[in-house]
Amino acid sequence: MTESAAAGIHPQSAATHAPIAPTKLTVRDLHFYYNGFHALKGINMDIPEKKVTAIIGPSGCGKSTLLRIFNRIYAIYPKLEAKGEIVLDGENILDSRYSMNRLRSKVGMVFQKPVPFPMTIFENVAYGIRHHEKLSRADMDIRVEQALRSAALWDEVKDKLKQSALGLSGGQQQRLCIARGIALKPEVLLLDEPTSALDPIATGRIEQLVEELKSEYTIVIVTHNMQQAARCSDLTAFMYLGELIEFDRTEQIFTKPGKKQTEDYITGRFG
Amino acid sequence: MQANVGAVDATVPQQEARARRDARHDRLFSWLLKGCALLVLACLLGAAGATLWGGRHAFGTFGWHFLVSDAWDPGSDTYGALVPVYGTLMTSFIALVIAVPISFGIALYLSEVAPPWLRTPVASAIELLAGIPSIIYGMWGLFIFAPFFADHIKPWLTNYLGNKPDDGKLSWVAQHTFLGKLFGSDYPFGASILTAGIVLAVMIIPFISSVMREVFQTVPSRLKESAYALGSSTWEVSWDIVLPYTRSAVIGGIFLGLGRALGETMAVTFVLGNAMQLSASILDPGASIASTIANQFSEAAGLQKSSLMALAFLLFVVTFIVLLIARWMLRQLAHKEGR
Amino acid sequence: MAGNSMLYSKRRIKNIIALSLSVVATLIGLVFLAWILWETLQQGIAALKPQLFIKITAYGEDGGLANAMVGSFIINLIGILIATPIGVLAGTWLAEYANGTKLGESIRFLNDILLSAPSIVLGLFVYTIIVLPSTSLTNGSTTFSGWAGGVALALIALPVIVRTSDEMLRLVPSTLREASLSLGIPQWKLTTQILIRAARSGIITGVLLALARISGETAPLLFTAFGNNYMTFNPSDKMSSLPQMIYQYANDPGEGLHAIAWAGAFVLTMFVLLLSLASRLVLSRSKVSHD
Repeated sequence: MTESAAAGIHPQSAATHAPIAPTKLTVRDLHFYYNGFHALKGINMDIPEKKVTAIIGPSGCGKSTLLRIFNRIYAIYPKLEAKGEIVLDGENILDSRYSMNRLRSKVGMVFQKPVPFPMTIFENVAYGIRHHEKLSRADMDIRVEQALRSAALWDEVKDKLKQSALGLSGGQQQRLCIARGIALKPEVLLLDEPTSALDPIATGRIEQLVEELKSEYTIVIVTHNMQQAARCSDLTAFMYLGELIEFDRTEQIFTKPGKKQTEDYITGRFG
Repeated sequence: MQANVGAVDATVPQQEARARRDARHDRLFSWLLKGCALLVLACLLGAAGATLWGGRHAFGTFGWHFLVSDAWDPGSDTYGALVPVYGTLMTSFIALVIAVPISFGIALYLSEVAPPWLRTPVASAIELLAGIPSIIYGMWGLFIFAPFFADHIKPWLTNYLGNKPDDGKLSWVAQHTFLGKLFGSDYPFGASILTAGIVLAVMIIPFISSVMREVFQTVPSRLKESAYALGSSTWEVSWDIVLPYTRSAVIGGIFLGLGRALGETMAVTFVLGNAMQLSASILDPGASIASTIANQFSEAAGLQKSSLMALAFLLFVVTFIVLLIARWMLRQLAHKEGR
Repeated sequence: MAGNSMLYSKRRIKNIIALSLSVVATLIGLVFLAWILWETLQQGIAALKPQLFIKITAYGEDGGLANAMVGSFIINLIGILIATPIGVLAGTWLAEYANGTKLGESIRFLNDILLSAPSIVLGLFVYTIIVLPSTSLTNGSTTFSGWAGGVALALIALPVIVRTSDEMLRLVPSTLREASLSLGIPQWKLTTQILIRAARSGIITGVLLALARISGETAPLLFTAFGNNYMTFNPSDKMSSLPQMIYQYANDPGEGLHAIAWAGAFVLTMFVLLLSLASRLVLSRSKVSHD
């Protein structure tokens, strides 16, 4: 376990600090191709348990691509191919024998734009649960309430659970999507630029929520907003042109980056 | 850590079982969908197969002669496709000659000339024409347009252009050009190949003009703007830039209209006169494939029924080819846009 | 210099002529629309009587079109009930499963062709596969039926529904698919419970358009449902329909029958135009609620 952690984190940072938590996800020599284009070139990283890991980098660097491999959502499109290993709790999730059902009940995802289903607020949360577990009506009510409370949405929607989710504001919709994701009790939560479509106030609430959720979930967040990464993550990975340039504790990355490219990006000299 | 792993393992068999069940359902579901989609294919093949099978007797009896013979005589039980095929092609041709320039004018008006507030209402009105059932066109053609045509248009055409004028005095045009034969007629009623062509033209105008308008809007505005910047007039931009850019789709739209015209039954049946005779004049009555089938099929038997089926097969094949070309042409522009 | 201004004014005149002709072309189109609608309205309303909706065609000039309307309703219903599920599922396959594949592209292409295929040939197809076989079952008495008419109309409605379902489903943002799949929801559930629901109003529009299209169809009914001067609710019988009755009456020499035909034409036109209006409303309302 400690061996893999030491090997996984980028050599530069591994030398400077001990792992800050047990590893949850280990990425090993990951390559990704679409239509022959080499989008990820040999990524290695160890993502620690119950911490927030941010992935930053200029657009097109592969940060979203990497996130979308963590729950194999890329597999719904043809002509995409991932090579390498991603180990979750000792099993390689890229192995075709690893069932999608199991993977997706363990790894939840929230997308850039809020995507409520065309149904009621209650149904939006209950829909996913119902597919994985058989719950009584009362248990389901409790479960939905829990999820909505965890997503800090309960107080706003408790009186209109039977209304269409399409009527919520953008920020509320996004928190609903988070509630929908955590209702399945995943272990890992992937957030793909979750605030890029939201206003500053809604963004603030989501960031606060991320802070609260990390006591229970391993969170990986992709963001193009460096301040956001600095504010709410424990570790930050910087990617550029499909490569992982640097992966270290957030304060380290933002105060004393080990690589010139990281420094240039953080200080706004390119990207 | 150890306990956690154990807890996860306990649900793994369940999850695997569910995954297998989902995969099975997914497979069944996709087969069901695919089966439904293949029905579309089955319809086309079935329509071709059924009419070919129904017409086998006629094809077998008359052979290739069926295509070139103008005989249609239930009395002697001999049938040839020439009269209805000619009627179908001629009415559709006339319809195109009338509808294409008008459709182009409408598309030009709606995309370049009309003030913006007028575009949507006029476009919806023109599209309304496409929504009117063909039987209504037929009634209007039979009771309103054909008499109007016989009273106001036909006399003018026969007297000034045709070779059978009422007063017997041939005009210069009738003496010296082919128009004399084309417009010569002593048939007193409004039903004729030309009438059917005009009614068909009105029917297909909305189809052709809406395709043209749609594709005109796909022309990148920078292309038009740079031509305007060179001092080109609206007409020059439309004729020299927009039309060449959209050429294949415009041709596709025209063929789409042609496909409609070829297969149209009701509107034509009412105004064509249903005469199984070949005439050089487009002011004489005629017959089309669809009108012949509509008129005769219920009472036909034996070889006549088979001949009607054979006609339907010909119609289907011809429209299929025309529509194939139309869709293929329309797709060309879509590809251009995609790139 | 003089040559230049000559050229300039020539170009200007050409432009003015061309643009004026485009106005004329549009006016021609609108005149025909107004003419057809006006005659249908005027002649139809003049002949509109209550007995039209009560009495059957067996009474001829003293009758109405009640049996034809009932027949139309039943045959259209059969057509839509057959075409809707098949069409939506086929459209779903094109949009969700076969997008970009060779077979999918070919079927989408052929569906577009079926969309404009001559309806009379489709009528003969149904005659061959339904009327003829059932005739041989009943020892030779020709068994035209409402069922056969319904199937013929279904063949005409099918490509309309396939196409709109396909197009509407392809408009559903792919994020919705990703979001549901990331919850581990299987494809068939995603498709039936989320995607089709998201595209619902578009699909309803397609069904309404298909209904508008088939309610005006005459040719394929001539040799399938055939016609019936008496009231029947049983689709196994011969059945009359509004367009078929209009066709029959318009071809009859009797003036009184022409009036009834006009009244029928008026009812049919109103129905079809209202349907296409309704389909537009459904679509525009859906756009508002989705954004």
